[in-house]
Amino acid sequence: MTSYFIRRFLLIVPTFIGVTILVFAVTRLVPGGPIERMLQEAAMAGSDVAASTSGFAGHGASSLSDAQIDQLKAYYGFDKPVIVGYAEWLGKVVRLDLGTSTRYSEPVWDTIKDRFPISIFYGITTLILTYSVCIPLGIVKAIRHKTTFDNLTSAVVFFGYAIPGYVVAIALLTVFAGNLGWFPLSGFVSDDFDDLGTLGKAADVAYHAVLPLIAYLAGSFAVTTMLMKNSLMDNLAAEYVRTAIAKGMAFRRAVFAHAFRNSLVPIATSFGNNITLIVTGSFLIEQIFNIDGFGLLGWESLVERDYPVVMGILVISSILFMVGNILSDICVAFVDPRVKFGSGESSQ
Amino acid sequence: MGECAGNPHPAAVAAGEPEHGGQQGAPAARLLSVENLSTAFDTEDGPVTVVDQVSFEIDAGETLGLVGESGCGKSVTALSIMGLLPRPAGSIVGGRILFRGEDLGAAEALRLQQVRGNRIAMIFQEPMTALNPVQRIGRQLAEAYTLHAPGTGRNEAKGRALELLDQVGIPAAERRLTEYPHQLSGGMRQRVMIAMALASRPDLLIADEPTTALDVTIQAQILELLRDLQRETGMAILFITHDLGVIAELCSRVVVMYAGRIAEQASAPALFANPRHPYTRGLLRSVPRLEDDPKTVLSTIPGTVPDIHELPTGCRFANRCPHAEGVCRNRAPGLEDTPVPEGQTSTHRVACHRWRAVEAV
Ligand SMILES: Nc1ncnc2c1ncn2[C@@H]1O[C@H](COP(=O)(O)OP(=O)(O)O)[C@@H](O)[C@H]1O
Ligand code: SF4
Ligand SMILES: [Mg+2]
Repeated sequence: MTSYFIRRFLLIVPTFIGVTILVFAVTRLVPGGPIERMLQEAAMAGSDVAASTSGFAGHGASSLSDAQIDQLKAYYGFDKPVIVGYAEWLGKVVRLDLGTSTRYSEPVWDTIKDRFPISIFYGITTLILTYSVCIPLGIVKAIRHKTTFDNLTSAVVFFGYAIPGYVVAIALLTVFAGNLGWFPLSGFVSDDFDDLGTLGKAADVAYHAVLPLIAYLAGSFAVTTMLMKNSLMDNLAAEYVRTAIAKGMAFRRAVFAHAFRNSLVPIATSFGNNITLIVTGSFLIEQIFNIDGFGLLGWESLVERDYPVVMGILVISSILFMVGNILSDICVAFVDPRVKFGSGESSQ
Repeated sequence: MGECAGNPHPAAVAAGEPEHGGQQGAPAARLLSVENLSTAFDTEDGPVTVVDQVSFEIDAGETLGLVGESGCGKSVTALSIMGLLPRPAGSIVGGRILFRGEDLGAAEALRLQQVRGNRIAMIFQEPMTALNPVQRIGRQLAEAYTLHAPGTGRNEAKGRALELLDQVGIPAAERRLTEYPHQLSGGMRQRVMIAMALASRPDLLIADEPTTALDVTIQAQILELLRDLQRETGMAILFITHDLGVIAELCSRVVVMYAGRIAEQASAPALFANPRHPYTRGLLRSVPRLEDDPKTVLSTIPGTVPDIHELPTGCRFANRCPHAEGVCRNRAPGLEDTPVPEGQTSTHRVACHRWRAVEAV
């Protein structure tokens, strides 16, 4: 059993190398990189023929100063052979040296690090709220399949699912922050946050979080709730539940004593995916509520061609994705013993 | 819970249940009577009656075989008795199921819980899926016991689980308790199912094709185990199979079903020596010898079972029967008593208009 987890953790190393190779390949596309240079040369050559359009291609690349391009070249090792460049870059990445942001002129890691608390706060809160609503709701819906309660809640969760999160965000903002003035218009905390006591701080964060959280959650209930419901219904129809009832167990009790844990397997499988999705956030919602999270940072960096930050985010979210997957596997292993012990069948 | 008549505790007998206690000298006590049971399913094409007016009895300690082709309604009959029909699609639409005189079809949910697993236990065809994959064997076994003996301590339950594994011939029982179903072979899993069924020393075990999913050698071992256990515990068994060969080894009486109805019912020796229904005769002719592959058993009766949605008004076997005549297609044959040899007490019933003519062939 322990060996399963050890094996799983050792797998981080090759996965990490694979991920970084991919990201490194992408760096060859950034300004000053060999690919972009080729494109640029091609555009130059074309500009003789069609002078009116060529200016556009050249213009984008020139938004970075020569000094910045040189910095990028040095950081990614464009002047060195690929292997050497990769090895040196990897060495920097593991030391959290992700280069310098062209926009903020500060280390990328510092820029990213500042956003972490906010993203993690929203991520973990959404995660907890999602599971603590969806799992019980899915259970009740499965037991009361096709009743009014089931149909009504389905309508509600699918309504939330069908409307894009940013539309919910704008609607909430207009009504509850703008018209009614119940909640703040934007930000993660108030301006006087530092002067507040611990309780006041917590209340302030919660106060600011209500509307964004609803916007985040509106769409996320449907998938997990329906996953839970369908998974539980499948298991309620399974033969081992019939066995439990044949033993003399009440159906309601068999739901929790037998079907429940089995039905958590797909939920556990999707857990890691949810973690990454949620930590990386949604730039639109962050934009609307003016929350300085990961999603907004990524979007702005992309628009402003702040490539070191984009790459840094790519590396970090890949790592998060990896960690998420491992967490998923551990969760699955906890609910499903077949995973821990392998599926080897003993012979007759 | 365990206050049914026939409870093995002497105290219960002493407490006196006159109507059962005073049956001395009478033939073995009637355990189960299924009377004109009809069970229907709601399907997309409307309701279908898949078990139609089925009647049979099981006495304490006897083994009744229920045999017929796949789809003839054997499992549905068993699930009707257990009150385990898939809801809401399936329901009993007629007849009664009397267990020690109590109508289980009309019993409250709570009462059924007290009977299931306690007085009537059941094992299924697929030992692979019948056990909870994420729970240890020991826990599933202990549960079978504690459900009917609330307040049992942990150690006592574990001791009982060990005892049960031992009883069904599982070696290294102590270790097995901590294992999960996927770590056991199919034969071992079926033994675990049997052990769970035995947990509360039931009066009746319903075994629904318990060996069909297993290898031939394992099949034989499981049959032998069931025979031994029956001798030890004195429980009755309703043994369901599509294989007449298995019936011959295990059962004292046999009910043959065809397309949801009973075709013939007799003692095992009478049925094998003197089959009266054309369907039974066809079945017997197609029973393989030991060397043959058991899977080929029923394939030799020509024709196919009529579609459940378009059952004929007359005899359901008519389209395959070599003896069919006009009367067969017009009117469904009822189950009638036929003569038995001198000294035999067991009845021999046949649902065939022409059984006399058939026998004369
Ligand atoms: N859940 C169900 N819904 C509809 N029809 C069913 C259901 N279960 C069984 N049946 C039908 O009932 C008939 C008898 O099935 P069953 O008792 O399982 O046969 P068998 O004799 O092989 O055990 C079959 O025609 C089958 O199609
Ligand atoms: S009633 Fe007629 S068709 Fe049916 S089994 Fe008897 S002879 Fe054959
Ligand atoms: Mg069956």
